[in-house]
Amino acid sequence: MSEKFMYLSPAWRDEVEKRLKESLSPEKMKFITTSVSFNYLNCPDGKDRCLYFQCEEGIISEVAVGDAGSRQAEFVISGNYDLFSQVTRGTMSSQRALMSGRLKLKGNMVKALKLASLADRINKVMAGIPTDY
Amino acid sequence: MMTINAMQDPYSIDCPGRVSQIQAVMARENIDVYLGSRLRTLSWVTDAFCPWRSYVVIPAQGLPTVFTFVIDAARVADDSWLDEDHVLGYAPLGGMDQITQIADFITETLRLKKGRVGFESGMSNYLPEGNLTLYEYESFRSVLPEFEFVNSHHIVDRLSLIKDQGTINRFREASRIVDCGHKAVKEAISGGGWKGMTETEIAGIAALAMRKEGSVWEWSFTGGNEIASGYRTGLAGGACTPATTRKLSQGEPLMVDIHAMFKLCLGDHAHNYLLGRATDLQLLHARNFIDIVSQTLKTYSAGISPVAIAERMMELAETKGFAEHMVPGFEHGIGMMGDEWRIGMNDGPLPYWTNPEHAYRENEVVICALQYACPQDDIGFRYENPILITKDGCEPLSKFALGVEIVE
Repeated sequence: MSEKFMYLSPAWRDEVEKRLKESLSPEKMKFITTSVSFNYLNCPDGKDRCLYFQCEEGIISEVAVGDAGSRQAEFVISGNYDLFSQVTRGTMSSQRALMSGRLKLKGNMVKALKLASLADRINKVMAGIPTDY
Repeated sequence: MMTINAMQDPYSIDCPGRVSQIQAVMARENIDVYLGSRLRTLSWVTDAFCPWRSYVVIPAQGLPTVFTFVIDAARVADDSWLDEDHVLGYAPLGGMDQITQIADFITETLRLKKGRVGFESGMSNYLPEGNLTLYEYESFRSVLPEFEFVNSHHIVDRLSLIKDQGTINRFREASRIVDCGHKAVKEAISGGGWKGMTETEIAGIAALAMRKEGSVWEWSFTGGNEIASGYRTGLAGGACTPATTRKLSQGEPLMVDIHAMFKLCLGDHAHNYLLGRATDLQLLHARNFIDIVSQTLKTYSAGISPVAIAERMMELAETKGFAEHMVPGFEHGIGMMGDEWRIGMNDGPLPYWTNPEHAYRENEVVICALQYACPQDDIGFRYENPILITKDGCEPLSKFALGVEIVE
């Protein structure tokens, strides 16, 4: 049985970074430079956290988990922990979450459109990690 | 790559200068941020065509930022003088709707926590005016509770009244293009070419010719190129004739009112024909029409008002016995796209309608517009032509010769 990781734990973060670097080449990431922070509200311990990605010319250069609002990013997506966990598990599409207003995006929407497919690729990689939520 | 600088480009408009002018008035009127929503404001500030619901947020200093529907934001940024960081897209996604984005922009990007927001409200007979809707107004009030909202449309209205040289040159070019459309129509219908044609075909012939010359749109919201034949030319009031599939017929009048758009400035000229043959009665109506158009064009000049022109022209029509065929108005306003009906400041005794006492000023542009309609004789004629008000008269921008032409 494969090892399971606790969602948003340091070990899970390490696994996310490892798999993203293995799976997503700069070509697949269209050589983009950007940053995005997912703000998880109402985590099981009552805190708000963020999952932060930095991408430099298509290379995932940083994956970080910290307190919500601790990182400045080009795009910020905010929502409840439960909702993000559904998106990561693949039981809820990010499109549905955004279109229903349950996830809120901040940033340049025109640029976000260009990045939507790349975000989906990242999400698919994360969905493949055995995780306890 | 060769570039044309503003000094060489006859159609150049100083858009940053326009924004500075708005900001200077905002400062005088204690407006902290201007929220423009009217099509005319978008055109005048961005110099780009914004067909989707759009807003322009103008801070006290610095560049404006446009918010438009996300599917068109990149194109608007490409067309306008603003970069992609100042043309943002809104979308039906959490946090990306227009109310949330603009409110966040004001409070977070502009870092305003309270103050006065100038917005645009009013009413118009012109459908795409773009005043803030009640829902939008209430929503902005709800998410910006510390702000006072002040109706400020007069700022852009006043600043855009007198046309700068680049704008005037654009209007001249749009009218040159319209003249090419009229030439193509005349060639097509001459020598019996009109036989079997429909109004829609006439509209298309004009459109193709104008597109070849650089027109980007037969812009009018009254149906693009307005073509009327037969009894449709004489409908009472009849100043709106979208082309139909009606076939042209011998002995009938034909009204050709065509529209071009060049760099958001508008060409609009109507020319009239009698097809195949003309009766004495038709020729009498035609002479009446030409007489009053000629006299109207001679009457325009700086200092005269819409009511003074109407009084003089209706007196002439009464004297010559055709007053009942005239619509007693002789112009409509024109500006960059979206500024179609307003004359002057629209600050007359009837709110948001023409001030009859508005004194025309040098370098205003209006459409000299006359509608002659005789429903009982199934005949009517229309004249429209953008005119530049000059100190001592006016310059008709379309040069297509005035006349009611009989085509065999």
